[in-house]
Amino acid sequence: MSVVSRRSLLAASAATLATPGLTRAQSVKPKVTVISQWSAGSDGLAITTLGKRFEAEGGVWEHNPVPGFTTDMMNKLRAQIIAGDPPAASQLKGPEIAAWSKIGAVVDLDQQVSEAGYEAVVPAELVRLSKPYGHWIALPIQAYRINTLFISKKAADRVGVTSLPATWAEFNAIAEKMKAAGITPVANGGLKWDDGMKWEIALCGINPDAYRKAVMELDDKTLKGADVLAAFRQLRKLADWSDPGAAGQHYSTFMARYMKGDMGMLLMGGWAQGVFKNAGFRFTDYLIGPAPQDDGKIAFDLNSDEFIFWQKPQPEYLAGQKLLAKIVMAKDFGPMYSQITGSLPVRTDTDLTPDGFSDGQREAAKAMAEAVRNNRVVLSLAHNMAQPNQITAAMIDVLTEFVHDNRISPEDGQKRLAAAVDNVRS
Amino acid sequence: MNWRARWGRILPHLVIWPPIVVSCGYVLLFSAWTVWVSFTRSTLLPEYSWAGWRNYSTMLATRNWQIAYTNLFIYGTCFLVFTMAMGLLLAVLIDQRIRAENIYRAIFLYPLAVSFVVTGTVWGWLLNPTFGIQKLMHDAGWASFRFEWLIDRDMAIYTIVIAGVWQASGFAMALLLAGLRSVDGDLMKAAQIDGAGPVRTYLRVVFPTIGPIFIAVLVMLLQFAIKTYDLVVALTQEGPGLASTLPTVVVYDFMFQRGELGEGSAAAVMLLGSLAFVLVPYGLYRHWQRRKAEAHV
Repeated sequence: MSVVSRRSLLAASAATLATPGLTRAQSVKPKVTVISQWSAGSDGLAITTLGKRFEAEGGVWEHNPVPGFTTDMMNKLRAQIIAGDPPAASQLKGPEIAAWSKIGAVVDLDQQVSEAGYEAVVPAELVRLSKPYGHWIALPIQAYRINTLFISKKAADRVGVTSLPATWAEFNAIAEKMKAAGITPVANGGLKWDDGMKWEIALCGINPDAYRKAVMELDDKTLKGADVLAAFRQLRKLADWSDPGAAGQHYSTFMARYMKGDMGMLLMGGWAQGVFKNAGFRFTDYLIGPAPQDDGKIAFDLNSDEFIFWQKPQPEYLAGQKLLAKIVMAKDFGPMYSQITGSLPVRTDTDLTPDGFSDGQREAAKAMAEAVRNNRVVLSLAHNMAQPNQITAAMIDVLTEFVHDNRISPEDGQKRLAAAVDNVRS
Repeated sequence: MNWRARWGRILPHLVIWPPIVVSCGYVLLFSAWTVWVSFTRSTLLPEYSWAGWRNYSTMLATRNWQIAYTNLFIYGTCFLVFTMAMGLLLAVLIDQRIRAENIYRAIFLYPLAVSFVVTGTVWGWLLNPTFGIQKLMHDAGWASFRFEWLIDRDMAIYTIVIAGVWQASGFAMALLLAGLRSVDGDLMKAAQIDGAGPVRTYLRVVFPTIGPIFIAVLVMLLQFAIKTYDLVVALTQEGPGLASTLPTVVVYDFMFQRGELGEGSAAAVMLLGSLAFVLVPYGLYRHWQRRKAEAHV
């Protein structure tokens, strides 16, 4: 009896000693440190809203924006990984998720994702990018359609255009009409990514299957094939129809002239809508919709931002990462975030009828859902979704030189592109 | 007394050595590290597996590097020649004991106080045919006026020369003016008494006397030229296409944009090597000068 009581006493005291630790472990306050390039404007506002939501659910939110280019953000990330102190989550996208997951330990999110039933409701292309080696290590937070066409309402009125062109032939006819009326038909800028994007929109519109093969799989035969050549021909036209001073200019430089009707058509991702809105223009100042699609069926050139989750030893970070994952995957996250940035929610089962969404967003989201069903989603080259950065950069170099040098024939441009891909293909 | 003497002996060392050690640490250590990385297969992070000369051969074969290096020659030469000429002209003009000399000096030196990014952006707007000087001329009625270097792929690099010369001429002027003022007044007077006109006095008497200052300015401008980066980024964005890229831009692009640390480092080492084009002739010149001076003694 006495022995037993002593034993139970010991057990009791051990339990008492252990309890504080136990309760402490259970009640750690979830915490995340996040780095992204979103510091200002609608992007900054959106991520701040996410932070407030995170705090409302009992977490500690610490966001360190690195304004400027994505590369600046990556340099900070690189430095933190080398120093052994990565952020709990960071912005990253496309194949860079796979590449960076090899240089730092990442968090396996499989359990959270399956509990949320998330995999079934996001586009397969995004699933592939977010679980590069069979496990979920990143979560998409918003999507954009790249192949979007904006026509200035005033320019459209001047040449009697009331609807968007369905095919490139129709597009070219409208451009000719605009040119004859003294309007600069294409309102794009001439930065590297802009030049790459014009080509990718052309190719996606000519044949999305060829796009998949040539850009995403780097298939040599397709790269040297007729569809890619047609895309180069279309790109030459787009370049000739652009402002002669477009070289080195951001597309927003031309916004005023475009809205005045001096410039006609802009091929740009859906975010341009947010840019126009911020600049004080209304939805009625332009026509918006899918870029030309020669086969008449919907195709979707996808750009998407994601969060990648980095392993940290402290339990509060793991709890924070779980909480952040839960919030981001929830059905109400998409509306909250995308209504601010003008993007599309990545969950294809999101309801876009609320007032916070625009018609442009609704149309693009519908297009995404349909393209997902028909397996006609492709990943953007110019926005680092299709290939790792070194391959993207090599391809864009060829495209930007082609745009700004009309002595290069489409045939030569195609040859150069195939050669550039050959040089960097791993 | 004794401690003071000892302190007096130690103090100079305390003042001299830490900066030397720190500079050597920075310059030599990081240069050596970059050289090392350039021989490895590093991509996103430094990684120390031997790659031999592969990064160098890959880099030399890229169009980016070929364009950039050709441009460095064009830009370097033009920048040096025009900046020196402009600086010398301004210095000689200001040297004429003019009124309000300080104001002129401040005006010409002022561009140096403006950052390259600002210079690049402003010149970018001025030279852009759709918004800048050309449009101004067209609006003023001179419809045939053409100045499209910024969007002409063969001429774009010269717009960087224009902006660079504008920025650095004042700097060259300040140093050369200091040199002109250091010339002994008696020499000038002697030349005048001998009947030399102002042009001849400058060419035969003044300029030879300040030869070493020319060399100093030249070397400083050359390293300005080689390390030019922000001007390109702000003025032409490498464009049109890649036509106005420079080696520094290529290094940044490969290291950070493309995540090819090895290849980027190889480019950086080759850029460092191009400094040899400057330092070797300079060293030889100094050597030759010293020999000449000794021979005279």
